[in-house]
Amino acid sequence: MDRRRFLAAASASVALLAIPRRARAQEEGPQVNTGAANAPMESERYKPVQLAAKGPPIMDTNARDALEHHLHCQCGCNLDVYTCRTTDFSCEVSPAMHKDVMALVSGGYSAPEIMNAFTVVYGDRVLMAPPSSGFDLAAWIAPFGALGAGIALVVLLLRRWHAPAVALAAIHPVAGDATPGEQARLDALVHRDDR
Amino acid sequence: MILIGELSLWVALLMATWGTTVGFAGGFSRRAELIASAERASYATFGFVALAAVGLWTALLRSDFSFRYVASYTSANLPSIYKFTAFWAGQSGSLLLWAFILSGYSAIAVYTNRSRNRELMPYVTATLSAITLFFVMTLCFGSNPYERLDWIPPDGTGLNPQLQNPGMAIHPPNLYLGYIGTAIPFAFAIAALITRKLDAGWLSAVRRWTLISWFFNTTGIILGMWWAYVELGWGGYWAWDPVENASFLPWLVNTAFLHSIMVQEKRGMLRKWNVTLVVSAFLLAILGTFITRSGVISSVHSFAQSSVGYWFLGFLVIAFAVTVYLVSTRLHDLESKAELESLVSREASFLFNNLLLVGIAFAVLWGTLFPILSEAVTNNKITVGPPFFNKVNIPLGLALLALTGIGPLIAWRRASLENLKRQFTAPVLAGVTTGAALLAVGMRDVPALIAYTLCGFVTGTIVQEFWKGVGARRRMYKENPVTALLRLVARNRRRYGGYIVHVGIVILFAAFAGLAFKEEFDVTLKGGDTYEATDPYGNQWRFVSQGVSRYEELNRQTTAVLLDAYRNGKQVGVIKTEKRQYTDSRGVPTFQPATEVGIMEGVREDVYVVLAGVVGEDTAEMRITFNPLVWWVWYGGMIMAAGGLIVMWPQAERRRAQAGYSTVLQPATHT
Repeated sequence: MDRRRFLAAASASVALLAIPRRARAQEEGPQVNTGAANAPMESERYKPVQLAAKGPPIMDTNARDALEHHLHCQCGCNLDVYTCRTTDFSCEVSPAMHKDVMALVSGGYSAPEIMNAFTVVYGDRVLMAPPSSGFDLAAWIAPFGALGAGIALVVLLLRRWHAPAVALAAIHPVAGDATPGEQARLDALVHRDDR
Repeated sequence: MILIGELSLWVALLMATWGTTVGFAGGFSRRAELIASAERASYATFGFVALAAVGLWTALLRSDFSFRYVASYTSANLPSIYKFTAFWAGQSGSLLLWAFILSGYSAIAVYTNRSRNRELMPYVTATLSAITLFFVMTLCFGSNPYERLDWIPPDGTGLNPQLQNPGMAIHPPNLYLGYIGTAIPFAFAIAALITRKLDAGWLSAVRRWTLISWFFNTTGIILGMWWAYVELGWGGYWAWDPVENASFLPWLVNTAFLHSIMVQEKRGMLRKWNVTLVVSAFLLAILGTFITRSGVISSVHSFAQSSVGYWFLGFLVIAFAVTVYLVSTRLHDLESKAELESLVSREASFLFNNLLLVGIAFAVLWGTLFPILSEAVTNNKITVGPPFFNKVNIPLGLALLALTGIGPLIAWRRASLENLKRQFTAPVLAGVTTGAALLAVGMRDVPALIAYTLCGFVTGTIVQEFWKGVGARRRMYKENPVTALLRLVARNRRRYGGYIVHVGIVILFAAFAGLAFKEEFDVTLKGGDTYEATDPYGNQWRFVSQGVSRYEELNRQTTAVLLDAYRNGKQVGVIKTEKRQYTDSRGVPTFQPATEVGIMEGVREDVYVVLAGVVGEDTAEMRITFNPLVWWVWYGGMIMAAGGLIVMWPQAERRRAQAGYSTVLQPATHT
């Protein structure tokens, strides 16, 4: 084997080795907005959602786009169907889901009916927010429940703190006994401290 | 230099181990020589980690592809600035950045406290060394940036195109400066808990560091929003992605702390709460890092799944356990010195402000983690996306905005009815007038109307506060209005700097509410074709395509479309949007094609154009979006940062005392 052939063979080997290495190296990088572009077997993630037409359309384009904001693209990204199809132009799933939405809109279905049809086919994962039923209801209740509990705790603490203060004031009534001059000095002090 | 850097990482590991050991030993045994040794170890650790960082930068800039990290994130034809920023593009590099900033912060904290807080410092030094040790250990054994390939590729993979953006060059370091800044207050809290020195002393040290953390977290988040807006092409700047949420959590908790610390300074109250907030901010920063790096939660821009995430989980569990133990055994020392006297008082408003901030933090954390919980319980995969976060957080955010206006109007301890009437009249009028005016001009979006009404109210509060302050100075010192304003701010930086931050918040809320009026159009244009659209203000726009052009640049092949933009018949500019195919130095495509958004910025709205694709030779598919008030997001963020700087700026102790921050008000019943 002459030198030129040897170099050619070596280059080819390096190139063959380089392909999987490069792929592996990139896997460890930050996956910025990958989703659709890098998801394997995209076509397998799409499932048709089709129903027979039942009447004339009752939704306009804006309502359709708003609906698509509530459907999760199944390409592996974290985006909704509308955002994915108008952002990640290499995605094949969101345009397919969009076509299904358009067909259902043309078939006279309402937004809740379309959402329901998608949920039947894909499951709850197709929704951009947890359903408000079953265990997932906890997702909606917990934040407000926790806040309500916090407010109740503050009010409870205030009452507990306030009670001894009121009792003490009854024995040594000082709070309302300040002369106008004393009150003015106190106000001035508080005002100064505010700064 | 690269070899020195590689070795330095291992020496830093030894130094951090030494600093941790002798720091705690010195603290418990009160041996001065051990404490001094721990402090010197802190400086040395910084030095060695800095050398390790310089080594990696050298490898990146020299395109030394024998290192896996360099080969993975750079290519020979990558512009030098992005070779430099590739330092934090990947897992191990960004961990090294963490260690670098943390060790730098630690050295600064040790140096600036060389004659202060001496009882706390052994434990502060030891805690910081322990955290640094964890990061250096993770680097050495879990994700080493100096890992070598057993062959040298002819070129590297290159940097993800979406990271080749100025926003991405400065956003991560800012965010890391903010994240890691939470470690210093955490270390002081741990030290205060160990020594039971839980008076106001540790708070003054903690406050400045919390402000530093808050400042960088704020700028980091705003820069991240800007990057997402100009680079990702979906037309927004915040998508409630888990990684975004992770950056938001420490910010919320730090903001709560910066308010509640005032209550402790003034009234000696909320001591347990403040300790809890300080440690929570740090633990949330670590939790955020775990979320980002473990892959347990799907995110659009997280690092790939790796074992490093579980190192963070282990660290988080240990830190949490230590904190819970220390707090639970020191509850008696954390008893408040005063009690809340009325619900209608400044301290009560701060308390509710804290509740809301922590409530929002809980809602964000809950929503971020809920998919895991739901799958564990129901074995059913769900998504928690923007519809959930918006529905939950918009009412909470509006309530918080209302409190931003209410808090400054209420006196400390207890406000009288007369005081409330006097303080609230003008701001309420401002709010109502704003709402009525917008209603009159046809605004019908209810959340937006509420938001703008509250913005008017908060603005009224802020203006009134400045007006009164300037008026008082003019009467007392006969100053002209400008001098009075400048001196007012200069002499009361905390108070008026805080109000400037509130101005930024108002602007941000106004800008967020503007999104309710966003308009989008899907457009297909051939060269010479025209598209007409109406923006949310009723202006008539006409876009004329100049056609599609294709050309090559340094490391990419570009397909561009130029649009002539006319508003109400008058040409206002040309918008260029691109699709880029990045290549390595041999011309081999490296990533999926990336979109470069065309943006015509304006105070009232942005015209945002994304090139979807090209059909045939000259037909471009595009999305044109009118984004109202986006400009104000960036400027609101800048004003917040400026306010934060004013608050942070050192003030002489005498003036701080005059400004009332050394004063602890005694409870009324004790007088």
